[in-house]
Formats: sequence, structure tokens, C-alpha cells
Amino acid sequence: MFRRILIANRGEIALRILRACRTLGVEAVVTYSEADRDSLPVQLADEAICIGPADARRSYLSAPAVISAALVTGCDAVHPGYGFLSEDETFAEVVRAHELTFIGPPPEVLDRFASKEGTRRLLGAFGLPTIPGSDGMLRDDEHALAEAERIGYPVLIKPSAGGGGKGMRMVRTSRELESAIKICRSEAKSAFGDDSLYLEKWLDDNRHVEVQVAVDRYGAGVHMGERDCSVQRRHQKILEESPTPALSDAARASLAQTAVRAVVAAGYENIGTLEFLVDGEGNAFFIEINCRIQVEHPVTEMLTGIDLVALQIAIAAGEPLGLRQSDITFNGHAIEFRINAEDPAHDFRPGAGVVERYHAPGGPGVRMDSHLYPGYEVPPYYDSLLGKLIVWAPTRDAAIARGRAALEELLVDGVTTNIEIHRALLENEAFLEGRMTTNLLDRVGGAAFLAAAAAR
Amino acid sequence: MPDTGPQRDRTAGAALREADHAGIARLAEELLPALIAKLGTTHLGELEVREGDWHVRLRRPYGTAPGEGRRASDKASRTQPGHEGHGHGRAAPEGQRTARAGGGASGITAGTGAASASTNGTGADDVPVDRSRSIATSPAVGIFKPGSRAASGTRVRAGDSLGTVDVLGVPQDVPAPVDGIVGSTLVEAGMAVEYGQDLIRIELATPAAAKS
Repeated sequence: MFRRILIANRGEIALRILRACRTLGVEAVVTYSEADRDSLPVQLADEAICIGPADARRSYLSAPAVISAALVTGCDAVHPGYGFLSEDETFAEVVRAHELTFIGPPPEVLDRFASKEGTRRLLGAFGLPTIPGSDGMLRDDEHALAEAERIGYPVLIKPSAGGGGKGMRMVRTSRELESAIKICRSEAKSAFGDDSLYLEKWLDDNRHVEVQVAVDRYGAGVHMGERDCSVQRRHQKILEESPTPALSDAARASLAQTAVRAVVAAGYENIGTLEFLVDGEGNAFFIEINCRIQVEHPVTEMLTGIDLVALQIAIAAGEPLGLRQSDITFNGHAIEFRINAEDPAHDFRPGAGVVERYHAPGGPGVRMDSHLYPGYEVPPYYDSLLGKLIVWAPTRDAAIARGRAALEELLVDGVTTNIEIHRALLENEAFLEGRMTTNLLDRVGGAAFLAAAAAR
Repeated sequence: MPDTGPQRDRTAGAALREADHAGIARLAEELLPALIAKLGTTHLGELEVREGDWHVRLRRPYGTAPGEGRRASDKASRTQPGHEGHGHGRAAPEGQRTARAGGGASGITAGTGAASASTNGTGADDVPVDRSRSIATSPAVGIFKPGSRAASGTRVRAGDSLGTVDVLGVPQDVPAPVDGIVGSTLVEAGMAVEYGQDLIRIELATPAAAKS
């Protein structure tokens, strides 16, 4: 096991990793930018070190700053959290070149799974049903039009690098394709420095289901079931739950088993998440893999009782998994609500400011992962996630009831949040019946969604 | 939704907050810059102004020359192993309250107050004095190596290199922030430093700020 870990992230995930370090008996050093000087992880860490100004490109995204911080504080491993440098294979390589361990897949594994389009073909070859798509990267407009014709409209134009919906467009006709492809190229180029694009078949009313896997260095792998992340806004998840209401128990088990078999065969290592689109008939198509801890990992922790961050650290330290599939049991139902500093009544406009009062809900089956405290100033420079409220109960209905009670109790004063959208979701018929699709919130709009819930 | 206690409080709180924010914004835009300028030209340690429900107190960090914060000592404890040095500004409750008012203000003015405060690293300080005028700070996380011009008493021009901070073996210049005379060096050669850490004091030539 490691002696001292550098946490190269901020906010709730920095705190989550710090907690995992504490339970493992590993010291933790937290990096921070000047804008995060007063943050909770900085205050609670064994040591904290300022790595740069508020601008993330010169702090949390600066590989030299992060690695230098690890070296001068005597760390032997770097935990990148999610976002920032977490899936950057070059960063992982430089970390290793300085005789530190990157907590995540080794650089060569990250490299193998770096291209989304390549990963789709790789895992397809190992038996995963993949979404129909273009044969390789789009060479030019002519190639794009021919491939779209072959796949059949609507299609989704996707950049090979990056994520978060940038450089992504859904098109229904060849004319739309021709104009959108230029925009996607320039967006992808400026966001990820790579303008290679590919096409995927677009499913209109799809659901987003993902499978959590863990594979050790010795090729032993398990799955930890799935999470349903169909409640989204512009490709950003806002509520996740498990088990998914979209699939039967048999279909869920079969999807998870197929997923873990494919990644083990393809040589994956560490924890990871395989994302699938599920159509109206319950057919699942693999779209991409996330080689890191995910925001919504607590949903799986609540069902399995496994500390995923601690497991991730142990695998990176070279420890055997120590778990067989039969050791993993799934208990009850969990829902996670992402609490964001954004205003659902005004097109989810992001906010900042001082948290004047903060109260985290409690009680059986209620967990709050958040870096908030009264008096904390939410800086405007980073993503808007303030924390995650996770509820667990033996059944979905009971979990929804606990969710309502906990959301009622949750108090964040001084900063506009999306708490109301979660309260509205728990009154929404499509959600209550387990029929949520990824486009529902966007189709209705945040303000209209709130109004509909208020009218009930 | 039932009209529960916290629910009512939320609405009342929102109204109060709005009034507060308007007040803070006005203070930040009109009063604070004038007060800071005033304090900067004097040898006063503290200035307080009352107006309505609000009072603003500006105070220099105790025991330091104008333009120098408590950060040097703060960092010194932080670079040693152990559990010290994480609570910024926790020591002074009076300062906390003043800082809170400042924090709210910077949230409202979105950038002006907040940006200058954070880029100068004065975030939680009592006095938002521009310390870069008299302290050379670290440009990066790394190992500090003072140069030949870092010797006390050396006359330097703004931009002169006083030494380097080595980041993974790549030296980054520590430039003199102002024209002046090199004073004490606050960090020993070969020590690890963090971004923005105070490194070398520069005594200004002007009579108001020079103090040796």
C-alpha cells in the first residue's frame, strides 16, 4: 500500500478520496488553487499545497504543478479524481516517469482505451454489442455522408477525444450533417486539441445504463452491477439510480457479465465504467468506457457495501482484487441526486456565492457527500457540483420516499441550486414509473418541468 | 409543499439576503476602494467605518510592514511535516467577520473584487493590500534557489531575477515585483515552496513604505 497520496482534485471528490485514505491509514496531501484556499478538503487534509492560481489550466490541469507538488510533499502516488487530469494518458506516463503511481489504469491501458471509436471496435471484438457507427474516423465530408447513409439517420456526430457533450451534434438529414460537421470539428479542436470525429447511430428515446467493473493487475475481474443515468440535461447526468428500471433482472445480470468478460479479455485494469444506450425494446449498445472513478459511484457503494475509492487505490498499489463475483451481493435500491449551483428556472445558469446556511439531511439510508459548510464561498471558476445526496432503501418506492424527505430537509442558503428540479423529478410521472429517457428534461425545459411539478 | 419552518425561513432569508447583497455591492464598489487607498497612504494600523447596519473594518496584519502578510510564517509552518497551517485566517475572529463581508462583496461584483483578491493571494486577509509591491512570491510549486541578486542590500529593478523555483528540474524565475533594495529572504535555499508563497522581501525606496 502507498504511504502518502497526493489528491490532485478539489470539491466533494477530493473530500471523498481523503476519507478513503483515512480508512486505509494512508496520509493525504490535497492540492489547491488560490480560489480553493478555504475549501473543506484543504482544511481537513494532513497537508495542503497551493499549486497555482484560480485558472485550472495553471493549477488542477497543470501536470508539472501537480507532479512537482507530489514530489516536494513526499507522496508516492497521485489520485486524479474525475475530470481534470484523470483520463490523460500523457499525464499518467509522466507521473510514472517520476517514480510515482497514477491511481487509475496504467498509462498503456489508458492509451489502449483513449480513442472512443477504437474502444468500441476493440470491445465489440470481445463480444460486446456496440452501437452501430462509422467504420473508423471520418476522413472527409464525402466519407461522412456515405457512412451516415449506411448507418441510417438520425446519427450522432462525436469527437473521438473528450466528453461533456462538446463537439457532439445529432443530425437527421444529410444537409444537417454537412453543416454540423464543420462546427463539431472546430469545437472538438478547441476543446480537446483533436478534431477527429466519428458517427454513431442515434436512438431517439434512449436510456443510459452503465456497468461498474473492477479488474486487478492479475486479470481477475468482477462487475458491481449497473447504474441508470437516464435523467440528463444536455448529456450531463443529474440523477442516477440502481438497479435500472429499464431492464429485467435477467437482462441486467447478463449485460454486466458480458461487460466484465469483454474488459478482462481486452486487458483492462483498475475500476472502470462501461456506458450503454438502451433502446425501447431493452437492447443495450456499448458506447464508451470511463477509466476513472465516477461522480455517481456512491450508488453502487450503497448497494454492494464496497468502498470503490479504497478498492481503486488498492488495485493501483498492485494488490489482488480479493473478491470473486459470488462475493458481491446487491441489496435494495439507491438514488443519487447531484446538487449543483445552477438555476433550473433560468436555463440552469451556473451560480456562485457564499453558502450562508447549510444543513445536510440524515437518517437511515441517507448519505451526503459534499464539501459545503456555512460560510464557504463557492468559487465561479469550476464545475457547479456542490455535492451529492444519496438515499438507499429496500425498494425503489421506499428510496423515492426517503429521497423526498431528505430533499425536504436539505438546506443550502445563499447559492441558487437545482434542489427544486430533484423535488420535481420525484413528482414526475415518467420518473416514478421508471420511464425516464435522456432527452426528456431537454425536451420539456427546466422551467416548464418545475411548473408542471408545482401544478400537481 | 408543506409550509415547514425551514421553508418559511428560506423565503425570509432570501429577502434579507437580497438586501444584504445590495448593501455589500454598494460597499464594495464605492466605499472599500476609497478606504483601501486611504489606508495605503497612512501608517494607520486600522480603519473602521460605520453606516446603517454595516460596519467595515480594515486592518493591517499585525507586526508586519505595510504590504506584507502573515503568509511567510504561515508557510513556514506548513512546509514542515505535521498537521499545522491549514486554517487560513482562523486565528483572528475579528478578521473573519471582516473577511466575510469582503467575500460576499466579491461574489456580487463577480470578478472585480474577487479576482484581484485571489490573484494577489489576499483571499482571507484582513487588509486587501497589494503585497506584491514589496514581496517576491513563488511562481510555482518546487524547490527554491535564491540567485546572486537575492543578497540583502542588493539594489534591484522590477523584473530582475532574484532566483528560481525549480519545477521538475525546470527553473522558473522569481522576479522582483518592484524597484527597491533586497531585504530578508524568508525561505532557506533548497526548501520546497508552494505557488504564491512569500520568498524575498523588497524594501521600497519611498519613505512611507520603507522600514528597515
